[in-house]
Amino acid sequence: MKYENQKTGYEKTLILFVISLAITFMALGLNVAKTPSISKIPTKIIKDSLASVTAFKKVYRVLMSPRCMNCHPAGDIPLQGDDSHLHTMSPKRGSEGKGLYAMKCANCHQPGNSPGLHTPPGNPNWHLPPANMKMIFQGRSPDQLARQIVDKKQNGHKNLQQLIEHADDGLVLSAWNPGEGRTKPPLSHSEFKRAWIEWLNKGGYAPKKL
Amino acid sequence: MISLTVNQKTYQLDVDPEMPLLWALREVIGLTGTKFGCGVAQCGACVVHLNGEAIRSCVTKCDRANHQNITTIEGLSMDNSHPLQLAWNEENVPQCGYCHSGQIMSAAVLLRENPNPTDRDIDDAMAGNICRCGTYPRIRKAIHLAAKLNGGKGNEK
Amino acid sequence: MEEISRRHFIASATTAGLALWLGLTSEGNLYKAIDSASVNFSPFILIEANGQITLFNTKPEIGQGTFQSFPALIAEELEVSLDQVIIKQTNGEYQFGNAQRSGGSASIRNSYLPMRKVGAAAREVLIKAAAKTWNVIESECFAQKGSITHAPTQRKLSYGSLIEEAAKFDLPENPKLKDPKDFKILGKMSKRPDIPLKTNGSAEFGIDAIVPGMLYAVVYRSPVIGATLVSYDATEVLKIPGVVKVGTAERIVGVYRYTGVAIIATSYWIANQAKEKLVTHWDNHGFDKFNTRDYEAHLRTLANQTGIVEKAVGNVDDVNLPPESYLEAFYETPIIAHHALEPLNCTAQVNGDRVEIWTSTQVSSAVTGKGAGDMHGQIGFTPENITLHSLFVGGGFGRRLSMDYIVEAVNVAKLVEQPVKVIWSREDCTQQGPFRPMTFSKLKGGISAQGALISFEHKVISPSLQQSRDSTFDPSKVDLAMMEGISEQAYEIPNMRNSYVRADLHIPISPWRSVTSSTVSFAQESFIDELAYQAKKDPMDFRLEHLKKTSDAKKVLLKLKELSNWETKLPKGSGRGVAVWEFFAGLGGQVVEVTCHKDKTITINRVIAVIDLGEVVNPDNVRNQMEGSVIMGLGAVMKGGINFVNGKVAEHNFYDSPLLRINEIPKIEVHILTDGGKVKGVGEPGLPPFAPALANAIFAASGKRFRKLPFELRL
Repeated sequence: MKYENQKTGYEKTLILFVISLAITFMALGLNVAKTPSISKIPTKIIKDSLASVTAFKKVYRVLMSPRCMNCHPAGDIPLQGDDSHLHTMSPKRGSEGKGLYAMKCANCHQPGNSPGLHTPPGNPNWHLPPANMKMIFQGRSPDQLARQIVDKKQNGHKNLQQLIEHADDGLVLSAWNPGEGRTKPPLSHSEFKRAWIEWLNKGGYAPKKL
Repeated sequence: MISLTVNQKTYQLDVDPEMPLLWALREVIGLTGTKFGCGVAQCGACVVHLNGEAIRSCVTKCDRANHQNITTIEGLSMDNSHPLQLAWNEENVPQCGYCHSGQIMSAAVLLRENPNPTDRDIDDAMAGNICRCGTYPRIRKAIHLAAKLNGGKGNEK
Repeated sequence: MEEISRRHFIASATTAGLALWLGLTSEGNLYKAIDSASVNFSPFILIEANGQITLFNTKPEIGQGTFQSFPALIAEELEVSLDQVIIKQTNGEYQFGNAQRSGGSASIRNSYLPMRKVGAAAREVLIKAAAKTWNVIESECFAQKGSITHAPTQRKLSYGSLIEEAAKFDLPENPKLKDPKDFKILGKMSKRPDIPLKTNGSAEFGIDAIVPGMLYAVVYRSPVIGATLVSYDATEVLKIPGVVKVGTAERIVGVYRYTGVAIIATSYWIANQAKEKLVTHWDNHGFDKFNTRDYEAHLRTLANQTGIVEKAVGNVDDVNLPPESYLEAFYETPIIAHHALEPLNCTAQVNGDRVEIWTSTQVSSAVTGKGAGDMHGQIGFTPENITLHSLFVGGGFGRRLSMDYIVEAVNVAKLVEQPVKVIWSREDCTQQGPFRPMTFSKLKGGISAQGALISFEHKVISPSLQQSRDSTFDPSKVDLAMMEGISEQAYEIPNMRNSYVRADLHIPISPWRSVTSSTVSFAQESFIDELAYQAKKDPMDFRLEHLKKTSDAKKVLLKLKELSNWETKLPKGSGRGVAVWEFFAGLGGQVVEVTCHKDKTITINRVIAVIDLGEVVNPDNVRNQMEGSVIMGLGAVMKGGINFVNGKVAEHNFYDSPLLRINEIPKIEVHILTDGGKVKGVGEPGLPPFAPALANAIFAASGKRFRKLPFELRL
């Protein structure tokens, strides 16, 4: 298959984003209220495949770091730790991504990080992607992941603006506040966000390889 | 002040809001049915219901439980008559018994949300609760029995 | 002082009025008293004039079921049902002697006849009393459900109404025991009276003790095992609201004495957090250089030493088989922790020269006893001044045979006037020991041209349990505890030499469920399998060929052969393994059936566990114990051990020292053999056969031999 620097199709949908904004936010169940407004960031597309792909290389390193990937597993059990092993008590995703029965995420994962080493990290909105939109990172090549992220059918129906805003989502931000003993993603949040926006605004190109 | 409604009784506690609920229940209120096992949400001995969910009280701060409804093993039924309690007695589940408050409180959420759990469902609900004595085969049997007592079909293979 | 203690016991046991006490003297003779002042024996039965019947359980309830099984022995013969009596756990009261302990799977095997005799003697004098009252012959009267009935007239008298008259009769020396066919409790499914308490939160475990005015404490102990405290600074700790006092407290574990720093506060949570602010300085004495990896290498080197012979049969040196007839193998097992789910804890209140203790212990009578090895000498109180409340035990597994945490808590309680509950964090429990020691085994066997095992050697290389626990142990002698079971197996082997190489270790070690059988059985019964293949025999047949004489082990193997359909072939990739193990606690054998998959994972299809008991008290409880033993055995196979890095335990809590979970357990079928003979134990014999049976099954299925624990279920 050839999809080197293949252009993704979201420019078309950009026009529609104002209309779909309210709907998708509700449908996604994202914690919109707590997401700081960054709508001032220009979402004007200036296509530059080289710059876009270069930026994505940075993005990919972050998304594949344990802090992001552990909750975007290939299976239905989240991963744990800097070595991204299967969560030792085998909690399952559940239809909403919030766990099942007595093993719902929030039963252990508190609104904030629990103190001490090896205690559950926390966030008010701790969850996995839902069963009908798994947004798997684990095992994805850069090319696959880039294409997946900009595909509204696979990204939680996010358009460009929403994708950009997602960089400041509370759960995304928690990767940089991982609790004692866990390594942070390889870039700072501001570096990540800059690369993320650069990648998207320069056309959201998918690199063939890094 | 922290206000906790535990087993339908409201307590006003002068405790640090950061104090884990487990210690407020055990040491301040004196309800010792809820157990300390690991302190880091690994073993499930401390499971209580917070607004119906099987939370781990060793990592849940009093602050989160403030003005909320808590049910402990002591409040699951008045007279040991919850289907799970009946089933646990019928199947002679416990050995040392230390983990079973947590086991039963976890199983109660499973049965509420899935009246006819399969073995897989039981794994999905109960893998967070450790039993060092190894009463797992009986926990499984007792959950199936409780489902039957509850009017469900029971899915035991 | 004894008089005060006795009166206290009597007052707490009885309501009011006349009471008949019946039990055993320290010499084991039946004895009774109607006058409470004369209760200077072990009164296992108390019948009061108001009809209340109390049976005393001297064996701490650690999950093994003695809260039911021990009084059941008495109740069966006394003709009472367990729901019409009160069962009281004894608390180390001196009347009940020094066997108030749960360990070695000994409770029932040591009490089966004595306790039945106690019940039967009581029944006999109650019948005599009723016959006398009615002026009828004894043979017309029978005991049932707490009353004596005169059969021809159906008149009834309750036990309570007969005690005064019954007391006038001499107790029979050898009361007639019931015919087992008439048993109503023993051997039947019977409910354990502690189970309802364990499903509604009302069972009181040691950690649940509530004493008015109680404070809570944690002890900061050196992470480097063996270090001594040089100094500490609690300035910042004492600034924390809720912290009451900081001081030192000694803990004694076998031959080791450790001093830690106790932080006493108004809650465990406050005390435990305050540890972070404590500054301590330790002298590590070089123990911070200790690494398990190096120590294991050291043990492998020691394996070349001759060792001290524990048992020799024939002469292995004279066998002279060709070299290719010999097989040698080396097996390794790790240090592991007990991981009882109830963290170690003890509440103590010191009041002048007296101390009152609330805890969960396996050894109540050692806490209060007068013996040289009992606790009084370690805490500086006279035995008479120690009062114990022996509460439900949230898991023993051998860890609560040690009294170190009780000694330490008493020392903490000496720092304040209030009662103090000392609680160990899970990390403390994981890291501070005592631990089960590792054993390494070097084995050699020689097979004759006819395929018979004619020469066998098992050398154990390990630290010494006895040396860790007893300062009078002579290190030039064999530590028999480390050779447990090895020479006891029933295999008929003409030449055998079993020996021991002791390795020094500064870390406290202790028994762990099934003690050394939990490790050496893996080596020996796996190696027997290897020898079977060397002899080109089926492993089951090979074992049976070496069990020509009638033996309980042979009986177990034959039962396993039948239950497992041993002779039916399994599909390719699947296999069965068998192991049998006899030791002081009892005898069990298992067949494990596995399938090895293309992705190299291994699944356990079924475990068939046979236990030979001779007599069984509560079969369903035995099944529960066996299921638990298999699961504990599987946990010891699959999950990592305890590792030392720079003198400290590298593991902390269940996230890095995991236990099996419900989604990881195999199907387990239990069969109990109860065709009379020697009464054997229940709590431990289910454990030793599991690991070798599993390893043997994996070999049968795949040709891969696992010789080191732990291992993953993966080829």
